[in-house]
Amino acid sequence: MPDARTEEFIARIQEGAQVEATDWLPDDYRAKLLKFIEMHGNSELMGVLPEREWILKAPTLQRKLALTAKVQDEVGHAQLIYRVVEDLGKPRERCLADLVDGKAKFHNVFHYPTKTWGDVGVIAWLVDAAAIISQKALLKCSYAPYARIMKKICWEESFHILHGRDVILAMVTGTPEQFELVQEALDRWWGPLMQFHGNPIPREEDPMFQWRIKSQGNEEARQQFLDGYVPQIRELGLTVPDPKLCKRDDGVWEYSEPDWDELKHVVTGHGPKTEERLAFRRRFLEREQWVRDAVLAA
Amino acid sequence: MNEQALLGLADDELVLGWRDSEWTGIAPLLEEDVAFSSIAQNEIGHARAVYELLAGPDGNADALAFDRNPDEYRCAPLVELHLLEWAHTIARRWLYEVADEIRITALMDDSDPAVAGLAAKIDREEAYHRMHAEMWHERLRDEPRFQKAVEELWPYALGVLPAELRGALVSRVGLSEVEAIERGTHTDELAPLWEEMTMVRRSAPAGAQW
Repeated sequence: MPDARTEEFIARIQEGAQVEATDWLPDDYRAKLLKFIEMHGNSELMGVLPEREWILKAPTLQRKLALTAKVQDEVGHAQLIYRVVEDLGKPRERCLADLVDGKAKFHNVFHYPTKTWGDVGVIAWLVDAAAIISQKALLKCSYAPYARIMKKICWEESFHILHGRDVILAMVTGTPEQFELVQEALDRWWGPLMQFHGNPIPREEDPMFQWRIKSQGNEEARQQFLDGYVPQIRELGLTVPDPKLCKRDDGVWEYSEPDWDELKHVVTGHGPKTEERLAFRRRFLEREQWVRDAVLAA
Repeated sequence: MNEQALLGLADDELVLGWRDSEWTGIAPLLEEDVAFSSIAQNEIGHARAVYELLAGPDGNADALAFDRNPDEYRCAPLVELHLLEWAHTIARRWLYEVADEIRITALMDDSDPAVAGLAAKIDREEAYHRMHAEMWHERLRDEPRFQKAVEELWPYALGVLPAELRGALVSRVGLSEVEAIERGTHTDELAPLWEEMTMVRRSAPAGAQW
């Protein structure tokens, strides 16, 4: 049973109050918050790698500029988020060390390969759309410093969605081969996108709700994603690769059960690109340690 | 200024911007990740502005940037080098920024007002790149691996500038003049860069929209 002070804390945040870094925080709250926010920071950072390779292959000057700016935003988000984590007690160096050692998690979608320029559009449009749904809900997070930076993050992510949609639009109205690149990328990304918001957990069983770190259920987020984006996908002439997908009369989307085993397998560090990407980051982190030493010594 | 020299400037900025964007996501500090991405965007933006000037109002800057063969590029060998290692990356940034400042300053006095105006605009953004390069130069100049990198890249840096402007570079950098690795020759590293840079574009027939 929580002590009286903790109970009072829970009651307060349940009513919608937000707390600051300097307030007293229950240990369990701090630990859960830190883990959640750290995973968000890791995801922003690991999200850079699948897109990074395509900066170098961008087919026009404008696309190269836009993609570099987008990826730069993601690193900027990681930088902001790690500062919040630092305030909660874990230095950035340790977050990065845990990340490359495979001890920390990051979002499922960043464990997959990016095979064509079609992936660049699908990621910027749909992965970022899925992400912004979760991030908008975090604007109401009980921890005020996190909620505050989410404003900037959401604002930037909404630009990424526009960039992604523009990339997609150019291709679906281009040659049949370009259209096919988008459809093929959508076919590959649909599974991970449906897993993105996690399996439906009843609110009462999710400690993240008790602490009001999250205020939106996983299924609620997924429904919002489907409602916002399936019509747009279809409008472009693309096919969502799920024959069971349909909107019921009551407005709820039905879909094939996402592969939860795959989600679990991937986020525990066994995705198709997990090891390669962590090794890539580890290699640079280790090789350029002398630079951080030189900067700190100055 | 003649077109070949302007094309050289644009190709330098395009290829160096391309090389700098290789650091996006893997720089030694997150702050540098962000900084290198910004610098890369500026360089690519400068390249685009010069290509647009060269292509004229009905021309296509993308076609000029991407649809030539590797041997038609006019970039200096310095910017082509694959240097995904911090000491060399910073040594190149610093040497390039010093050389580029000399070149841009000269261009600001160009008899063609369009060229002079563009040079002034580029100069305003380059001021921040110079501050960034100078800051790193201050930090690393006593590091043996940085000094070695500067020496290795020095003949390449001289090749960024035409012979008549090299004296200024020599006095700014403080190394003695050696035989330059001249513009017009290419390193072996340009061809793979070009392959990667144009692979998506080449996958559709010319004129396709991306």
